Amino acid sequence: MAPLATASRLCVRSAAVAKPAVRALSSTAVRQADAPAPGAASYTSPFKGESKANKIPDFSKYMSKGSETSNKLFSYFMVGTMGAITAAGAKSTVQEFLVNMSASADVLAMAKVEVDLNTIPEGKNVIIKWRGKPVFIRHRTQDEIDQANKVNITSLRDPQSDEDRVKRPEWLVMLGVCTHLGCVPIGEAGDYGGWFCPCHGSHYDISGRIRKGPAPLNLEIPEYDFPEDDKLIIG
Amino acid sequence: MSLANSIYSTLFRKNYTMLATVFAAGFAWEIGFNSTMDKIWDSNNRGRQWKDIRNKYVEGGEDEE
Repeated sequence: MAPLATASRLCVRSAAVAKPAVRALSSTAVRQADAPAPGAASYTSPFKGESKANKIPDFSKYMSKGSETSNKLFSYFMVGTMGAITAAGAKSTVQEFLVNMSASADVLAMAKVEVDLNTIPEGKNVIIKWRGKPVFIRHRTQDEIDQANKVNITSLRDPQSDEDRVKRPEWLVMLGVCTHLGCVPIGEAGDYGGWFCPCHGSHYDISGRIRKGPAPLNLEIPEYDFPEDDKLIIG
Repeated sequence: MSLANSIYSTLFRKNYTMLATVFAAGFAWEIGFNSTMDKIWDSNNRGRQWKDIRNKYVEGGEDEE
């Protein structure tokens, strides 16, 4: 019982002492008048019986010698430099990935094909290679153009008028890949006077539209242009 | 210290000017870094690249693609 009694007495006493102690504690934040000026070599504690371990050491040696403005400028400069290098690195990373996905130089070199149209007589087919695929160029006669325009579009499987498929009616330019399974159709063959795919028997008409057989779509039209009267650029 | 003060207040004080400064600096730094690295690469591989030996094989045709 005795230790408990002493403990409770201690508690009471410490509670009684608490108030001045708090005041003393709070007064440490405010520098007392008799305390040495900041930056001085030592700091005297307002408490009695302070051991050496409780002394606040002198940090003035480590304090910055520069003014507040120059310190701030330096800090923000370092932060900004770090940010700039990081931003450049991030941008470069993203860019490299995107460049990696785009077409390589050897593909771009094959991307455009130029054709001299003077060498193709009327009513003849020419097959050229473009991006690894055959491209049909047909110099159509007036009869064939009329025949292509005469077709009732609503009766077609993939309705497309002849004007939508050509830039100049006498020149039909299209990819020579059957839309069914990718064979190369044979020119001037089939039931409709156009192309015929020997693999599964798709018939295309003189405008390259699917008319009969398993293929679902018309023959594809690549990007092409006539920069001059007798020149064709595919791609 | 008025120079430091003016630099601080114009470039770093406002968040958006700080951001703009950082991006502009990053852009400039990237250009400088890339051109420096290209120069180092070219000087390391001098005489081995197509642009160095081109005139041995191509005569005059500067306008070729």
